[in-house]
Amino acid sequence: MYRQGDVLIVPVPEESLPAGTAALPRQPRDSRGRLVLALGEVTGHAHAVVGPGLLVREPGPFGASYLHLPDGGRVVHEEHAAIPLPKGWYRVVRQREYTPGAVRVVAD
Amino acid sequence: MTTTVSGGPGTGTVERGAGTAPAADGRPDPGSGAAGGEPATWRAVASATGPADRTAAEAAVRLAYRRAGLAAPERVVWTGSPLEGTAAALLLTGVGDRLPEQVTARAAAALRAAGAVPGREGAGRPVRDEIRTRPWAAERQRLLAALGPAGWAERWALTAAPLWDLTRALADRVRTAVVEELARTPEDERTVRLAMLHAVLGQHDAPWLASVAGPPAPAAPGAADDGAPATGGTPDPGALDGLAGVARAAGWWWPYEKVVILSERPAELHRDEAGRLDRGDGPALAYPDGFALYAWRGMPVPAEFPARLADLSAERIRAEDNAELRRVMLEHYGYDRYLAESGARPLHRDETGVLWRIELPDDEPVVMVEVVNSTPEPDGTRRTYWLRVPPRTRTAREGVAWTFGLDAEEYHPRRET
Repeated sequence: MYRQGDVLIVPVPEESLPAGTAALPRQPRDSRGRLVLALGEVTGHAHAVVGPGLLVREPGPFGASYLHLPDGGRVVHEEHAAIPLPKGWYRVVRQREYTPGAVRVVAD
Repeated sequence: MTTTVSGGPGTGTVERGAGTAPAADGRPDPGSGAAGGEPATWRAVASATGPADRTAAEAAVRLAYRRAGLAAPERVVWTGSPLEGTAAALLLTGVGDRLPEQVTARAAAALRAAGAVPGREGAGRPVRDEIRTRPWAAERQRLLAALGPAGWAERWALTAAPLWDLTRALADRVRTAVVEELARTPEDERTVRLAMLHAVLGQHDAPWLASVAGPPAPAAPGAADDGAPATGGTPDPGALDGLAGVARAAGWWWPYEKVVILSERPAELHRDEAGRLDRGDGPALAYPDGFALYAWRGMPVPAEFPARLADLSAERIRAEDNAELRRVMLEHYGYDRYLAESGARPLHRDETGVLWRIELPDDEPVVMVEVVNSTPEPDGTRRTYWLRVPPRTRTAREGVAWTFGLDAEEYHPRRET
């Protein structure tokens, strides 16, 4: 697994993917042609993948995201060093923080 | 992360009013689905601040009435906020006699300035259904038929859904505050809420407009009037262009047969990176007429609270009786400062970070992991973050793993930046 700031990218063997993952709605690329794994609401800084691949997201606010990189790729961010990723499927996890009575998403 | 150590995650960034017109925002937007090169996004429309473009808004209002088969409104009333707009709507429809005097005076002045006469006869009936609800339902139905249920669900997931929760939460907070300002009895509350039900939300309609109205850029001159229906699963740029135009240019608005009440956008909107209202030194949301909401990381706080944040000490934090406000004070003061001043000792330390614990009277303890950023800053230092984790956490690794939904033994990053 790989951590870039507040995003954890966990390799998932294809046979271990939840049924129907590949058929989930595909997230569109941003205006720079990148797959955005997580976006900072104010800065617009993004954890993003450059290159071929697809990003799908389960519906709902806590739905998991899965990234497929058929040829491998690189995840970049304005404030963090890039991380090369081997080809395969990944689960993308956004960091969260504990608050009494609730859990909230961390964003950078 | 853009966090400052003293502020904790998600703070230290500000979304400010001046010049954030939607078209000026060119940042990547995974939610808009807009084609490359198109700078305006519905996300930017939803959070736009600064004076309304009154000329554009009024033209778009006339267009929306025309699309609904209605004559243009005779009077256009501008108000400074959703609060003043709601008050004007209540006065205009003849049910505003119990409103607080100060708001009433401003709303009445706005009506007089437009030559609008209070009382139901002068306004005509509310026409929100014709203006907004029916065209939206028809366009959704048309796209649903063209795309199929799965296709429509996918369109919604990619366009409206990313903006929905944030914008709805913002509008709900505004509604709650308007009720608090205007209603003194449960009966008043019903009346005030009913008046808000007649409102079209302008910029806060951006989420559903994103799903049915195509990109938010203004249509080319003349394109709106060619009357050619769109085909297939493509949004029809003409069907909702009036509504989209008002959304780009103004805040909430109240369409009545003979009068339209429009309201300004916020002058200030401060949110954290997770999109929650958040400001430590003033109102998190403020309209030009003074209507304002105070919040810290989404939690409503009293208006005078930011002043108290300016002069904190560990002793004052310990002395605060309200557990929620004490939590806010602690976050604002900085866990690290508080830890240093209170002589706290780390509970546990390993290669993932340091685990800290602060005991609080009459509240559960604050347990945090201190994590160091793996990528150095330009000056060679490394930024430190404090993330709160469940109080039962025993090791730093367990804490960091929890923030990613993993068990301690599962969390072994091969590479971190």
